[in-house]
Amino acid sequence: MGDLSSLSRTLEFIKGKFAEYYERASSKLKPPSSLERRELGFSLFEGGIIRHKRFTSLDGLTSTLKALAPSDVYYSCAYYERPDATMEEKGWLGADLTFDIDADRIRTACEKAHDSWVCTSCGAAGRGVAPGACPTCNGSKFEETTWLCDVCLEPAKAEVLKLLEFLVDDLGLSEDDIDVYFSGHRGYHVHVESDVVRGLDAEARREVVDYVMGIGLDIRLHGFEIRGTRRPRVVSCPKLDDVGWRGRLAKGVYEFLSIATRESLEGIGLRDKVIDIILAQRDQLLKGWGLLKGVDVNGWRRIAKKGAELRSANVDPVVTTDVHRLIRLAGTLHGKTALRKVKAPLSGIEGFDPLKEAVAFERGEVTIFVYEAPEFRLGERTYGPFKEKMVELPTAAALILLCKGVAIVR
Amino acid sequence: MLMERMILTKEDLAKYPFLREAAEYVEDLGLKVEDLDDFAYEQVINRAEERVQEAILYAIITKRSYNNDVEILSFPIAILIISTIGDNFLKRRYALAEAKRAYNLLKLENEEKILIMAKNFNWIISFNDKGVIEGLPYKFSIHFINYLKNATSIKGEKWKLINRILIEGNVPLMKGEVARLLAEEVRRYVEKKLDVKELPNLPMGLARRVEMLRALFTREEGKASLEEVPKAVVTSAFPPCVRASYEMTLLGKHIPHVSRFTLTSFLINVGVPVDKVIDLFRNLSDFNERMTRYQVEHIAGERGSRVRYIPPKCSTLRTYGVCVNVDEICKVVQHPLSYYKKKLQLK
Repeated sequence: MGDLSSLSRTLEFIKGKFAEYYERASSKLKPPSSLERRELGFSLFEGGIIRHKRFTSLDGLTSTLKALAPSDVYYSCAYYERPDATMEEKGWLGADLTFDIDADRIRTACEKAHDSWVCTSCGAAGRGVAPGACPTCNGSKFEETTWLCDVCLEPAKAEVLKLLEFLVDDLGLSEDDIDVYFSGHRGYHVHVESDVVRGLDAEARREVVDYVMGIGLDIRLHGFEIRGTRRPRVVSCPKLDDVGWRGRLAKGVYEFLSIATRESLEGIGLRDKVIDIILAQRDQLLKGWGLLKGVDVNGWRRIAKKGAELRSANVDPVVTTDVHRLIRLAGTLHGKTALRKVKAPLSGIEGFDPLKEAVAFERGEVTIFVYEAPEFRLGERTYGPFKEKMVELPTAAALILLCKGVAIVR
Repeated sequence: MLMERMILTKEDLAKYPFLREAAEYVEDLGLKVEDLDDFAYEQVINRAEERVQEAILYAIITKRSYNNDVEILSFPIAILIISTIGDNFLKRRYALAEAKRAYNLLKLENEEKILIMAKNFNWIISFNDKGVIEGLPYKFSIHFINYLKNATSIKGEKWKLINRILIEGNVPLMKGEVARLLAEEVRRYVEKKLDVKELPNLPMGLARRVEMLRALFTREEGKASLEEVPKAVVTSAFPPCVRASYEMTLLGKHIPHVSRFTLTSFLINVGVPVDKVIDLFRNLSDFNERMTRYQVEHIAGERGSRVRYIPPKCSTLRTYGVCVNVDEICKVVQHPLSYYKKKLQLK
């Protein structure tokens, strides 16, 4: 795409804008708590990563940001005795509990419209999420282009809400210790900073991940019990107002069964006889909630699995269990969008508009050449779709296309 | 409250010599290592030796001296003996043996005593005001942090946090369950105790006994290692998760990072040479010999920290979505390498 000089001009332009942002905004930048105990890292536009940096003051950090104008800025969720030492010698003191909710993990209908892939071995291309194997050459490695869009970000928000319920109601964590951020691209980060969780080891964090993701649930330990010895067997369910996973399972099962069709019940592997029973007794079951004659523990296990899926929070397990993880620093720009990582209010997150709040460049216009871009919204305005066209756009909108690599500065 | 003032008796200290109060009691006696050959300590040394012997032979300490002083004092001396022998496997085994001993005693205690013990380890624990949930006596309520710290090393579905009731950070538990978690706390505590940096010089008599115990341990360990993994690699005994990654890689398909780590560390640990493992990845379109060699050698412990990595355990693989096609053997093992050994035995 484009000749070398326009590519390097584009890179130069983006970097200049990032430098300008840090020049202007770094006084407002909030450092992570205990800055001197954190490892800082930077990705550079020129390529490469700088890691294992330690800063003792915000001034030191901001002057580095101005000078480097990095594409991405990270800090460790961990606290170290010596943040600038090698991994083995850092001296781990604890870590915040962090969650990453990525829209990429959640399937939406609109990905067909705005995402695309190119097979790296044969060059075949298509729309939507990359297939398991290339239909042309059977290759399995793809270059994927994802887009940021309202429709994709909404379900991610729903996952955040489910996660918050787990953190507050079940784990008893204080809302004062929890912060939610829009990452600046395709997801949300949830940070818990508290003495309570700081010392959790990777194993314990994995248990927390399993808890919020609904992994390893044993329904017999959650109120699904065989009643009596006569056949047909009767299995009792947990109640809708039970606490923790019991209530969640009950509600999830209720939700699933209330809209289940023969197809969706077949889809979870139930036998025809069992499906007949469920469909015949459904109204009664939903009204009186509790007993359903003729569905055994195995059948319930399949139904409950579906119910648990509806109620669990879809987080990235790798991020939460990694006690050394580097995560994007709030207030810094995302290299793929030039949008800021911004805090979302804990109460009222439903009304939070990431594509408005994260905008870092409010002024100016730039003329760019766009190869191809789907329609997208930023703030109050909608742009595109564009194809092989010179356009004048507000700086923030232009930067998204430039950072995504679908446009250049001529 | 009455129970807060309840004082631990000397018998309690004898039963639970790892308690803070027991350590203080020993300290007050002003015991010196160089005096340990003295006839006055004969019984104490015998009892310490017995603790270590039982740990080596059975991984549990069952016998008991009814002389409280002997019981209390023999514990720090057993710690001294194990630390001197210095083997890490033995340290873990001894900690386990002490934990099992404590568990058998704790099970029989009343609820007030259990609460005191837990508080001794700084747990956030209280009596559960609801008491009975679904007909079961959940007499206690403990903070999930204390729960996780200990429950993650106990096997079984019922110990997974997700299979527990969890209300505002607290896990309701029955008495026996608290005792089990406490035993785990004891195990970790004893393990830490055994990590002595500077060892004192032992008097002759005691040093001789330590050598006898070392010999006993070496003999027992030799028996166990005969059951190690055989040399030939049997692909058909691979667990389903590894087999899936293995076959994908043979076909030149890319697999996620965690799967690749699991596959590589598995192959290394069942005896596939580094070069053979590297060859396996040659089919990949973006194969880079230098990078692959670096990573595989790192996992094999030939670089960097010099630690040979083992594959993640089954529960971890489940979390990361690597676990697939679960079969009957999967249901009885917790680790891909155990699957391999088990399947080989069945062949």
